[in-house]
Amino acid sequence: MTELATMDFHSQPPAGEAKPWAFPAPERGTLANGLTVLHCHRPGQQVVAVEIILDAPLDAEPAGLDGVATIMARAFSEGTDKHSAEEFAAELERCGATLDAHADHPGVRLSLEVPASRLAKGLGLLADALRAPAFADSEVERLVRNRLDEIPHELANPARRAAKELSKELFPAGTRMSRPRQGSAETVEKIDSAAVRAFYDRHVRPATATGVIVGDLTGVDLEALLGDTLGAWTGSAAEPRPVPPVTADDTGRVVIVDRPGAVQTQLLIGRIGADRHDRVWPAQVLGTYCLGGTLTSRLDRVLREEKGYTYGVRAFGQVLRSAPDGSGAAMLAISGSVDTPNTGPALDDLWKVLRTLAADGLTDAERDVAVQNLVGVAPLKFETAAAVAGTLADQVEQHLPDAFQATLYQQLAATGTVEATAAAVNAFPVDRLVTVLVGDAAQIKEPVEALGIGAVKVVSAE
Amino acid sequence: MPMGHTATAQAGSGGLTATEHRLANGLRVVLSEDHLTPVAAVCLWYDVGSRHEVKGRTGLAHLFEHLMFQGSGQVKGNGHFELVQGAGGSLNGTTSFERTNYFETMPAHQLELALWLEADRMGSLLTALDDESMENQRDVVKNERRQRYDNVPYGTAFEKLTALAYPDGHPYHHTPIGSMADLDAATLEDARAFFRTYYAPNNAVLSVVGDIDPEQTLAWVEKYFGSIPGHDGKPAPRDGGLPDVIGEQLREVVEEEVPARALMAAYRLPEDGTRACDAADLALTVLGGGESSRLYNRLVRRDRTAVAAGFGLLRLAGAPSLGWLDVKTSGDVEVPVIETAIDEELARFAEEGPTAEEMERAQAQLEREWLDRLGTVAGRADELCRFAVLFGDPQLALTAVQRVLDVTPEEVREVAKARLRPDNRAVLVYEPTEPTAAEAPADQDENEEAAR
Repeated sequence: MTELATMDFHSQPPAGEAKPWAFPAPERGTLANGLTVLHCHRPGQQVVAVEIILDAPLDAEPAGLDGVATIMARAFSEGTDKHSAEEFAAELERCGATLDAHADHPGVRLSLEVPASRLAKGLGLLADALRAPAFADSEVERLVRNRLDEIPHELANPARRAAKELSKELFPAGTRMSRPRQGSAETVEKIDSAAVRAFYDRHVRPATATGVIVGDLTGVDLEALLGDTLGAWTGSAAEPRPVPPVTADDTGRVVIVDRPGAVQTQLLIGRIGADRHDRVWPAQVLGTYCLGGTLTSRLDRVLREEKGYTYGVRAFGQVLRSAPDGSGAAMLAISGSVDTPNTGPALDDLWKVLRTLAADGLTDAERDVAVQNLVGVAPLKFETAAAVAGTLADQVEQHLPDAFQATLYQQLAATGTVEATAAAVNAFPVDRLVTVLVGDAAQIKEPVEALGIGAVKVVSAE
Repeated sequence: MPMGHTATAQAGSGGLTATEHRLANGLRVVLSEDHLTPVAAVCLWYDVGSRHEVKGRTGLAHLFEHLMFQGSGQVKGNGHFELVQGAGGSLNGTTSFERTNYFETMPAHQLELALWLEADRMGSLLTALDDESMENQRDVVKNERRQRYDNVPYGTAFEKLTALAYPDGHPYHHTPIGSMADLDAATLEDARAFFRTYYAPNNAVLSVVGDIDPEQTLAWVEKYFGSIPGHDGKPAPRDGGLPDVIGEQLREVVEEEVPARALMAAYRLPEDGTRACDAADLALTVLGGGESSRLYNRLVRRDRTAVAAGFGLLRLAGAPSLGWLDVKTSGDVEVPVIETAIDEELARFAEEGPTAEEMERAQAQLEREWLDRLGTVAGRADELCRFAVLFGDPQLALTAVQRVLDVTPEEVREVAKARLRPDNRAVLVYEPTEPTAAEAPADQDENEEAAR
């Protein structure tokens, strides 16, 4: 039974005239201490974002000390030559700032956000942290214990557990990429302040670092401000570290991480593929979006909106590490969770979606909508200073030109259906995908084996 | 015809202004211009949330929110998503205790499309709503529940604490996600009745913020929404009023497969919209916001008994707000050790109040959070709707920062002394159990799952 509406209907309105928008072009300079600085004035953005990129990648961690980059990153906000750990946290919060730091394969990133009115103070604290971190024994010891306490929480989280297993499965044993970014219990417990200090001395210096500053910089004398803050950081000259290529074994197979009684199965299906240096990147972005970028993409159209197996499944490409010579790679993956009884049918449908894509390709209409979305959302996506700074910092970290993002939008608009199809099919070949399932093996193993998507092995969740 | 008045820029609003209008059918409209970026946000708050649900139909408001994306009179299937995304916009909807909101952020030249879409579903959703979308979205929402609550450690803590903090039968006793049993029980006719009761122009506020021409925008709003009839069928929500303090310590111990012991608590605090609520926000920030707070310094830095310790505020207008404590223990530390330390810190704070420096820090943090929220057109649109729906005046959004900055240390101390006490909290303790044996029967029925 349907119901009659009582409103006056009007036909769908046409779009107005688009207003020009371009991804902001930063200004680039170098301080006397060798620090590269990019800045970008964004009128109205009252919270200024500052990103620092340090050439201290995970594969620089000494053998057996996985996690030392992470502990160092966290220890930056635990006191300096001017403030104790408690005082430093208090001073940051006093200027309404937040400072986050994390270590990943390309390097260590620090992200400061501070109201424009207190930028000088916030930037001063950040500079102190980089220039003269205290790395006090007792604070590092606490960070180590804290990190050890976090590990069981991560293992209990299905999405994080799946990510850990996929890295282990995909990358050659012995490579840093095969192991948890933040270290394991065995390696973290060996870290002390001397190890953190040694890692800092070896890998942290202004000459190999870059700062990105974005926000409403009205009335800010940036040169003087930088001179007083980040300019006071000193260090020896050094060549950038060479970046090793990324390799992986994507032989089609399935690993079930057993969680008896789980009401859902967490899926993570991945391999590695092209990063932003590859000419295929715009087509891969477009094709991946059509496959699983949103609720109306192919995967969710079936798995969610037709079958109701899931709250949502996404396909994505995330750069792992890039090199100037193009030997880097991105993780290409499909992730989501499906209810336990429907795990087999959901995977069956997922593979059908991939096979159909390979057989019939994308439609022009799909391609058009995807381009309109990916290009059209740019002004929304980069409304805040933090979003712009984050993207500029990613570009630096991935050895890309400052105009990369702006150019990408032109390339996306020029990418056709055939190229997008080819890129998506190459990114997600049905027989070259490593599938990690975190779920109840007793219930899902048999139906998954029946699908023929690769050999199935079961490992314990612990 | 729309009537409007223009407000002047208020102190602390960063020069932002908003104008208010009302259509003949009762739809309230708030407009705010900002031409810095060529984007426009549309936000629509319906004055209905999980507090309006009745026994046996928990989760209906949220399930219904999903159905709002399944097509309407002139929009087929997933057209709402497809058209907005195809226009370079982003969109979503969320459901809380007190309201349901729908929002689109669009490139400025696509604003009219978003207004047309929102009007179409406000006026004609039931012409498209059918069994197929009902059954499908029921499954999607059940999987949302599994993913966000049932399949993650501590996932149901919020639900359990809420159920403790608000007595059985209270409109806030259950959370918006609802129970599996009730989600299963909801019928198409329930959804239809829900729409007929609550989805009317006079039960909603529409805000449009960004690079807009207010006169043109208002003309579009009138064109698309103006003919949708208003109605007064909405029953008054059940009273959410409760005494200021619980009067005893409520407690539940959960033995579950979780990675570590945890102590969580919910304190009954003043209603949103009051000066005392802002004072409570500051008290919780001094005590447990960020990494220079009293509890963080005590438990994580000095005693080293906790991995994480913090306080949050769930602001509620129609019932007491909740002060939300969450502590995960370190190593083998037992919960009573943590509890004793917390009670010492709270008692000391109730006597001393915040120091001048602590006030400065807490106010700076809350000010920055406001700058963040008002820094995007979508955030601003949502706040304008919030103050219009809950407090009748969208202009209050633009002065919210100033109100937080006006609170005195003595007011902070007073609210802490009156409310942050052991006899005004519901406590949830997690004690980890060993992992379930692999051979244990794991084939649980969903209804049993929900009844646990």
